[in-house]
Formats: sequence, structure tokens, C-alpha cells
Amino acid sequence: MAIALIPFLYVISTALKDTNSLFSYPPDWIPSPIYWGNLRSLLQDQPFVRWTINTLFVSGAVTILKIWFDSAAAYALAKMDFYGKRSLALILLLSVAIPIAALIIPLFFVVRYLGLLNTYWALILPPLANPLGIFMARSFITAIPDSLPASARLDGASEFTIYRKIVLPLIRPGIVVLGMFTFMLQYTSFIWPLIAVQDSSRQVLTVGISSLKSAFLPDWGLLSAAMLLAAVPITLVFLAVQKTFVVNDLSGALRE
Amino acid sequence: MRLSSGEHRRLRRRYKLRTALTAYLFLAPNLLCFAVFLLLPVLWLAFSTFRTGGVLGPAEFVGLDNWRETFGDPLARTSIRNTIVYSAMAIPAVFVIAMVLALALRTIPRGGSPIRVALYLPTLQPTIVAALIFTFVLHPDFGVINFAVRTLGRDPINFLGDISLALPTVAGIEVWRGTGFWTMMFLAGLVGLPHELFQAAELDGAGAVRRFVSLAVPLLRPTFYFAVIFATIVNLQLFDTVFALTDGGPANSTLTVALFVYRSLFSFGEIGFGSTLSFILVITVLALTGAQTYLMRYRS
Repeated sequence: MAIALIPFLYVISTALKDTNSLFSYPPDWIPSPIYWGNLRSLLQDQPFVRWTINTLFVSGAVTILKIWFDSAAAYALAKMDFYGKRSLALILLLSVAIPIAALIIPLFFVVRYLGLLNTYWALILPPLANPLGIFMARSFITAIPDSLPASARLDGASEFTIYRKIVLPLIRPGIVVLGMFTFMLQYTSFIWPLIAVQDSSRQVLTVGISSLKSAFLPDWGLLSAAMLLAAVPITLVFLAVQKTFVVNDLSGALRE
Repeated sequence: MRLSSGEHRRLRRRYKLRTALTAYLFLAPNLLCFAVFLLLPVLWLAFSTFRTGGVLGPAEFVGLDNWRETFGDPLARTSIRNTIVYSAMAIPAVFVIAMVLALALRTIPRGGSPIRVALYLPTLQPTIVAALIFTFVLHPDFGVINFAVRTLGRDPINFLGDISLALPTVAGIEVWRGTGFWTMMFLAGLVGLPHELFQAAELDGAGAVRRFVSLAVPLLRPTFYFAVIFATIVNLQLFDTVFALTDGGPANSTLTVALFVYRSLFSFGEIGFGSTLSFILVITVLALTGAQTYLMRYRS
């Protein structure tokens, strides 16, 4: 636990220090007086707030769309019979293993061809293609007994009603897990936003922070302040859902 | 109401067709994204391994030239070796540490929640942030670790500037970041195991180690299966940390496949070469997950 936390304390302490006193020896852990200059220059001179809003918007959009798309697809795969189901499931399952980093070159050209480079769509749409979420959602839906949708069908409910009124409410804890997982992956994603968006005002936090570093002489105080603030939103989201999140087992996703 | 057999068959076919249509309607949004942003890129990738041309230049069919060039390129080989060595260090390390922590956490019944949150904090951080944090925790001049080293009267260690230390250091950072995630994963698996089995084994005199090896490990097979596959996929595409920390250096000792692919597109504009290297990565991960599936599911 100490190993997990000490680097954070170090960052917090550096964020609240004047960069010059960073090099004092021995290092003082508790800055005195507290120096707010790093935080101020981050919020005033850098588009940091903009990056945060972009990140929250993109991650939120991906999370909501993914929950919707994946749970719908998973419902079809888990509770319906149709032609081509087995081979489709197999293709999707194989695709889970395709590393996104290996697709950056063709993905760049596809997105450029669609005219989406430098837009929010370039950040939102490609992550939706990853099929891992379908299998997570499917493992939650499979746990629902078949008799439930079957009896609703007999009562004349349409598949859409069954999905909305029966399946979704029943798999809520699973949805929270899938949502948190998606949000976390999206919040931390780096390589694709780095390529897909060049415009600084549309950029997300991770790429923005790394661009702060590329200056000739890194300003460690400023960087620490950025890291400190970047950690806040995702930590808050995690704290809000952590009860559900930590007790659920995701491994059912790849169980056949 | 009685139906003739022809009518029956017709209605049945209509019913099946309607269910199939509904099913594909449910699948449509997902499959559309899948086709455009995953299937198409993979096919494009396979196709462009046989073609040459820069970002601007016209593409030409060159047969197996890209493949020869990629396998003959010493840097490409270095990047493949680094990626494998890195994964071989990081994955087992993080699994062992996470398993030990999960076993320890399981014995804390209530009030373990602050510890879990603390453990999870590193996982929540973007890799890029974790990388920057460590740039300075490990800094030779003012990093806290070298402060400790200097207090002991040794020379400061240049973790990221030393050819033989840089890759293990990167692996260490990824272990720091991944520990929380895998601890929670294993903990969830352990909590889900049937309690009675363990009590029975304890009554029969099985010690803690024996209970873990003979009961928990086989029962956790699905969790391990997911863990091994997921960790392989994630680690073989290591990019963020090396991009931010070392940019592949010193002397290419931390150059990974993903970083080299990125460079081949954005620094050299060599699409054929980069595509071939990417394609090799895709095939490797597919083959590895296939082999792991075979080993973990169908044996025994």
C-alpha cells in the first residue's frame, strides 16, 4: 500500500512547491509555504480545463454508446436463435485478441477517408468496435434463466420490450462494471487520440499532459499539478461505483 | 385451429426469418462499428503488407519485399525481442504480486475498502501520467529513490538512462500500475469460490498452501484464463510508457513493436513496412491466445 501511494504523495508535494525548491537537498515532503503558482498557471495558461472537458465528454459518450451497443448485441447472442449466430460469435471472439496498437496505421487511413480526423467522432467511434464488451455483457445475460424472456414472449412482449424492461434492469450490476471498465480504458487511452487529433483544443488529457512535457526544459511543478488534477475525476468516478466494481468477476466474459 | 403442413412450414419459416431480422437489428449498431473500425482495418493491413508507398506516394504491389525487409531489419528484430522480454518480466511479476495481495486481502473481512481503493489508484491513472510520475520518482538528481540511495552513500542510479536497466524499469512501472487491477480481479475470483469446499479441506487437515494449490488454483481456472489472455494482449502492445519515458532509448533498449510501428508511419512514412510489423503483431497475439486457449481449456 505504501508503494502504491508514495509516488502520489511525491506528486502532490511537488505540485504545491516552487520549481526551484524542488532541487533542495534533502527534499522537504511538506511544502511550506504552499505554492499555488503551478496550479494557477496550469488552469490559466494551458487549455487544461478544455482537455478535461474533452476527456470527460469523449469517455462518457463512448461508455454510454458502448453499454447500449454491447448489451443489445449480447442479448441477441445470448437469448435469440438466428442463422449465422455461431460463426458470428466466433469471429467476434477471435477479434478480441486483435491489439489496437497494431491497427493504428489502417485506422488512421479509414478515419481520414471518412473525413473524421481531428473531430470528436474520431475519438468516439473506433473504440466502439472492440468486441470484448459484448462478451462481458453476454456473460451477465446468460445468467438470466431462459424462461423469463420466453414467458414474456408468450405474453406478447416484443424483443425490444424484453430487452428494455427485463434484461437491462436485471443486469444492472454488470452494466456498472462494464461501464466503469470502459470509462477507465477510455480515460487512460493515449496512442489513438495522439494520432487521430492534432488540434490542441480538441485534445484529451493524456495527450495534452504529454505535450506539456515536450518543452525543452520540463517544468516539473506544472507537470505535477497536471497529474494531480488529472487523477481527480477518474478517482471520483471510481469511488462512486467501487462497491459494485470490486466484487464482480469479469472473467466470465470469455467462458464458453 | 388446425394448420395444413404446408401452412405450418410457411409460418415457421416466417417466424424464423422475423427472429433473425430482429436479432440482426439488435446486433446492427455494434456490427457496423466492428466492420468499419476493426474488420476493414485488419483486411487493409493484410493487403498493404504486399504493397509499398509512402503517405503521399503511389502504392505499388511489391510481393513479399516488405516481409523480407521487416525480418531483415535489425531494429524490427530488436523491437520484437524487447516486447517479448518485457512481457516475460512484467506479466509473471504482476500476477504473483497480485495473487499474494488478493490472498492477503481475502482474510480482511470488513474495513478493507480503504486498502482496496489505495491499491486501485495506480490502475486508474493514465499510463502517461504513471510514466511521468516515475520520470521523477526515479530522476537521478532529485528523485526520491535516488535520495534514498544517496543517503546510503552510494552513487545515484540512472534507471532510465542505463541500457540494461531501462527495460526492467519500464516493466516495474507497468507492474506498479497493473497490480491493483489484477489484485481486484483475483480477489473477485477468490471471493466467488464455494466456501464449504475450503472449510471441508481445512477439517481434513489441508494446510493453507495445500488448499491454495489443490483447490483455489484449479477452481480459478476461468479467471486465470481471462487474465493470461488479457495480459498478453495488453502487454504486447506496450506503447504509452516507453513513448513518454524513454522514447525507445537508450540505444533502442526500450523500443517496442508498437512504438516502432508508430514511428514507421509518423516519422518515416513507411506504410508497407509499418503494416507488415503491425500484421506480425496481430498474428502473434492471435496465435498466442489460440495456444493459451488450447492449453487451458482443452487439456485435462
